[in-house]
Amino acid sequence: MSWRSRAAATALALCAVLAGCSEGDGSSSVGGKVVLRYTWWGNPDRAARTQEAVDLFEKKNPGIEVQTSFSGYDAYKQKLATQAAGGDAPDVMQLDYRMIDQYASGGVLMDFAKQQGALDTGEFDKGLLATGKVDGKQYAIPQARGTETVVYDTEQWKASGVEPPRQGWTWSEWADAMRALAEKTGKPGATDPGQSEDAFEIWLRGQGKALYTKDRKLGFTADDLARWWTFTDKLRREGAVSSAEQTTQIDGTVENTPLGRGTALSDTNWDAPSSGYLAIIPSGVTLAPMPAGEDGTPGQYFKPSMFMGVAADASHPKESVRLVDFMLNDAEAAKILGATRGIPVNETLRDAIAPELKDFDKTVYDFQASVEGKLNAPPQAPPSGDSALQTTFQRDYDQVSYERMSPREAAENYITEAKAELRS
Amino acid sequence: MTTTQLPTAAEPRRVEVPKKPPRRQREGAAWVFLSPWVLGACVLTLLPMAVSFYLSFTDYDLFNSPNWVGLRNYTQMFTEDPRYWRSVGATLMYVVIAVPLQLALALVVALALKNMKHGRAFYRSAFYAPSLLGASMSIALVWRAIFNDGGTVDNLFGTGGWVNKPGWALFAVALLTVWQFGAPMVIFLAGLQQIPGELYEAAEVDGASRWRQFLSITVPMLSPVIFFNLVLQTIQAFQVFTPAFAVSAGKGGPADSTLFYTLYLYDRGFVASHMGYASAMAWVLLIAIGAITAVLFRTSRSWVFYASEGDR
Repeated sequence: MSWRSRAAATALALCAVLAGCSEGDGSSSVGGKVVLRYTWWGNPDRAARTQEAVDLFEKKNPGIEVQTSFSGYDAYKQKLATQAAGGDAPDVMQLDYRMIDQYASGGVLMDFAKQQGALDTGEFDKGLLATGKVDGKQYAIPQARGTETVVYDTEQWKASGVEPPRQGWTWSEWADAMRALAEKTGKPGATDPGQSEDAFEIWLRGQGKALYTKDRKLGFTADDLARWWTFTDKLRREGAVSSAEQTTQIDGTVENTPLGRGTALSDTNWDAPSSGYLAIIPSGVTLAPMPAGEDGTPGQYFKPSMFMGVAADASHPKESVRLVDFMLNDAEAAKILGATRGIPVNETLRDAIAPELKDFDKTVYDFQASVEGKLNAPPQAPPSGDSALQTTFQRDYDQVSYERMSPREAAENYITEAKAELRS
Repeated sequence: MTTTQLPTAAEPRRVEVPKKPPRRQREGAAWVFLSPWVLGACVLTLLPMAVSFYLSFTDYDLFNSPNWVGLRNYTQMFTEDPRYWRSVGATLMYVVIAVPLQLALALVVALALKNMKHGRAFYRSAFYAPSLLGASMSIALVWRAIFNDGGTVDNLFGTGGWVNKPGWALFAVALLTVWQFGAPMVIFLAGLQQIPGELYEAAEVDGASRWRQFLSITVPMLSPVIFFNLVLQTIQAFQVFTPAFAVSAGKGGPADSTLFYTLYLYDRGFVASHMGYASAMAWVLLIAIGAITAVLFRTSRSWVFYASEGDR
């Protein structure tokens, strides 16, 4: 082989390699079908029901194939961020309240106004719909509203003889109940709430404060946080709430919470995802309101629990919005989905399916009805740094529960980190 | 690299060299064959490095265009980020535990294999196998299961879940690294086979014990190979990611005890979307690894013995 032909052969091989790299620009259409990617987080129950609804969508729209994938919240958050940054966001994605600001201002989400007519929002509560707006543009559509709850193993609590939670109970009454449960059953009463930014927010609101101020700065001081962590740390030392080894395994799935692992009697969680506990605790769980401030100020609030968004660079925006419309407005889909993401936002559907709700869906519906009208208005959407701070919060509390730092030290660390996070 | 000069056998080998084509032509062909690599190195390594250097002075957040912030990322890292220092501490701890243990195990196994009469090839492959599997995500997940609450180790020894105890979790990750001793072992084995047998025979005649022989012949003769492995494994250990990520379920926990530098870098860049900050962290890591390698090279003068220098 001459030098020239060798060079030519090498060049050819090189071309083949380069061509190999540029192949496959995502999945857009297979066999003439439009292919959409739809991702969400949740528990297996939600996955099964969502898949059933998606199957129905495919049946009604023969030209569209939907590829789905789901995972636990923590893993989902990381994966979506990486996909979005790489310009490979799924066509239709489930979003948390915390993500909207970040993804909308980052140009990841499509303004629904661009596909006018494909989505009917006439039946949605206007106030709730507005929570999906950033700078006046509708980047995300709330799917449901949810609220936090103390979810507990009904039978075990009853057997312990401890008085069950009541409407309007306070944090100190809650703490006493946890101590009593631990004493009677030998198991911690609850997940250590110190690791949860959500629980802290509820405690904070019970004192008339807020996580963030109107101009998106921190709404609390190191003193507030140190007091909260001192409170939870003391309960942990007494064995009234879960140990550090148990708490650290929390990863956003119900299976890995202390209650899910059978090492505690209750958990503070969102109402709809608590349905996942039924697969683990077949004898049943009960939803109780979150504790209020000592003067009775309620801390919990109704929050748009999940949103649906469409990628700005979705290859089939029209079909993507059609899927969103189907998930939110189709009567049959609503029946299948029930309250797996919370009570539907479409008010007509909500009233239509309410009498038909059964099992846990009814539990969620009844729970929301029980606190309806008793809660204060929700805060505005958290600043984009909050998504990262949620994890920071959990990690800083790890330092407390593993007794590597005092609550005060960890709280000061958190304030430093939060200020740096919110500055950018 | 100077470290690969293995002591050569006394008799130089004679090899028939075929006639070479003219030098210029050979070089041209070499470049053509190198081109895929050169192209790859430029596009996939040098360019991203240059971009990351620029980004380290910006507030790039993956979504919006970067703004110049000067040295802010660097000052924040050193003065405002307690978790950064915890990640540095965890990484150093890991390197100090995992690297010596791994090298010691590799050397012991290599010594055992060297004296083996039969089946050496089989055992060599068998001991190498973990290195092929170990870097994979699936093994790391299995590792997490073994060392978790109710896992194998907990059931056998009643120790509870290692991965949920700070201090123990780091050790579980280090064990995963130590287990992958195959690559240094193969290099040690090659080095051991290069040591002339006469040296041992002479020592035997002089009545030196096995241990004496090991200390006075094996270690000095092998020192360039030990040094090579030490440098290579140290650099690799600083960059460990997969095992820590999987064993700690992506969190670097508990209590940041396995929050290795790369894990925190990933967290800052891809989870918190501070790519500028993450880029700055990457550059600090590069400089730190460079400095540590330089220190290792400096100390090597006092303990690494090159047979060729000894002749002088």
